[in-house]
Amino acid sequence: MNVHWLRYYGRLIGSSVLLIFVVILVMFLLLEIAPGDPIQSLVGQVPVTEEFRRQMTATYGLDRPLFERFVSYVANVATGNLGYSFANREPVTELILQRLGNTLVLTLPSLVISSIGGILLGTAAARTRSKVKDGAISFAAVAGFSIPSFWLALLLIMLFAVSLGWLPAQGMASYGSKGLSVPHLILPLIALAIPELAFKARIMRSTMIGVLGEDYIDTARSKGLSSFEILRRHGLLNSMLPMVSVIGYSLGFTLAGAVTVEKVFGWPGMGMLLYTSIQTGENMVVMGILLVVAITVVIVNILTDLVYGLVDPRIRARSRMSRGVNV
Amino acid sequence: MSDPVNVAAVELPVGPALADQRPTDPQLYRRHSAAGEFFRRPTTVLYLVVLAAIVIFCFVGPFFSLNPSATDFPVLAAPNSTNLAGTDSLGRDLLARLMVGGQGSLLVGVSVAVICLTVALLVGGLAGFYGGVADAVLRRVSEFFQVIPSIILALVAVAIIGASLPLIILILGITMWPGVARIVRAECMRIRELGYVESSRAAGFSSFRIFWSDVLPNAFPPVLVATTLTVGRAILAESSLAFLGLGDANRPSWGALLFDAQSYMQTAWWLTLLPGIAIFIVVLSANMLGDALNDSLNPTLGRVK
Repeated sequence: MNVHWLRYYGRLIGSSVLLIFVVILVMFLLLEIAPGDPIQSLVGQVPVTEEFRRQMTATYGLDRPLFERFVSYVANVATGNLGYSFANREPVTELILQRLGNTLVLTLPSLVISSIGGILLGTAAARTRSKVKDGAISFAAVAGFSIPSFWLALLLIMLFAVSLGWLPAQGMASYGSKGLSVPHLILPLIALAIPELAFKARIMRSTMIGVLGEDYIDTARSKGLSSFEILRRHGLLNSMLPMVSVIGYSLGFTLAGAVTVEKVFGWPGMGMLLYTSIQTGENMVVMGILLVVAITVVIVNILTDLVYGLVDPRIRARSRMSRGVNV
Repeated sequence: MSDPVNVAAVELPVGPALADQRPTDPQLYRRHSAAGEFFRRPTTVLYLVVLAAIVIFCFVGPFFSLNPSATDFPVLAAPNSTNLAGTDSLGRDLLARLMVGGQGSLLVGVSVAVICLTVALLVGGLAGFYGGVADAVLRRVSEFFQVIPSIILALVAVAIIGASLPLIILILGITMWPGVARIVRAECMRIRELGYVESSRAAGFSSFRIFWSDVLPNAFPPVLVATTLTVGRAILAESSLAFLGLGDANRPSWGALLFDAQSYMQTAWWLTLLPGIAIFIVVLSANMLGDALNDSLNPTLGRVK
């Protein structure tokens, strides 16, 4: 950790904060053009007088100019206050944090399973000398991420919940009981993990093929290392580099996939909250969720960067600015 | 087998190391042109045929099918001789609705890809060849879309701005172009340094002329692959939106059919199974086609072993 290093991370964090700022601004402008009246959604079907309406508008500061509201929103966000959800009668921050936990219960195992499975499968495809095996894995990988995850979810429900009756299809636990039951987790996890796993297997395969073609692999082989040792010490380590990026990058996709999968399984997570909030026009919640997603992705990006530096000593040696993954 | 020389020539392994040893016979040499490579693979032709068949199914099929909006069949009938794919909850023929729905899905896929391609060539090309403002803009926009997953942004945008087919296409185009643009940029940056660009420059051509006739055409192969993949991604994205109820109510797509099917999952499997298979086949074919294009346009990739 030298000065150069600190300066690099300082800049990275600085630009990330700026990015969050831009996200808020874009969302603010987008929600500004949204049709519909927040006061109307607040009072619902109850008829109210014009005076009450004006009063409410003033109470929530909706009569102030856009810029002023933007500044006060940013100031609130900085203190962790994301507004108030009228439909849920709860502060948005608490509402989201509580749902975020439910989403992470689903997305983190999915991230782990898809990463490990993708690495193993991709390595297997890259190593095998059998064209049939490689072809089969490659085809399965493309097929895996060509499946709409919500449709996969529907099929899983039709097969394992409706026809066979082996696994529950709705919610996080049986009706009436709280918490999380593992059987409830299985189907949504499969639906979420398979497209991700397929995608990672594909990247891993091409990365590993590239690595195994490098000269240092030949050197290792000529030194008499067993092929397992070569794979473990040289192949996997060098393939991990692009994979770390891909895994970090895939979090955003997994969170996005969680919206439809949570909807199908009635999983009370953030995706479900986003869906219902869009339907009921609860802009504060929509805004808050997008912000939480953005912040999560930014933090993971920074962590990815840190891991990158730890995994690859070459990177520590030189400064790097652009290292985008093309997917 | 009777002609050993020919067998040897045909089975010559194609790889970068052996490129110099290729037979000088022009007949054999021509086989390695990109188009030749492309059509030589039976699987590629298969996916092309599948895609063509689906296009014909969706756009020509309706002339021969039952009326997709007529509600005069038994409700939720399983596939039978009249309604080959069964009927939905209102007694409409599912086969006819699959055709009409496919029109929407395919239209979204192709239009979004065209939008992405156009914007990506412009912004990515300028960013890669000239750098400067375009590069800064592209980098910022890419970062933005990396932070907010495009499908989530599209979800919110469609919910707010409106769920009509042109708007959905526009919004998906706006959220999906940076991925393609980054590839254009990388290609243009690479080509900018190549010898033939330098010689054009030495010959005194204007930089726009070099950009237009030397850089862009040569950047095209990987861009074509990315565009093909965009078709599949756009169809998937639209189907997610439609499945969440954010589809064009007047123009059904396969995703919208799945949205309608949700309540009848336990009784009418065909309503859930068939539209999903349609999406899956089209996206799979587009992705495989992209792969095949990639292999044939860039023969060194994926063969190193």
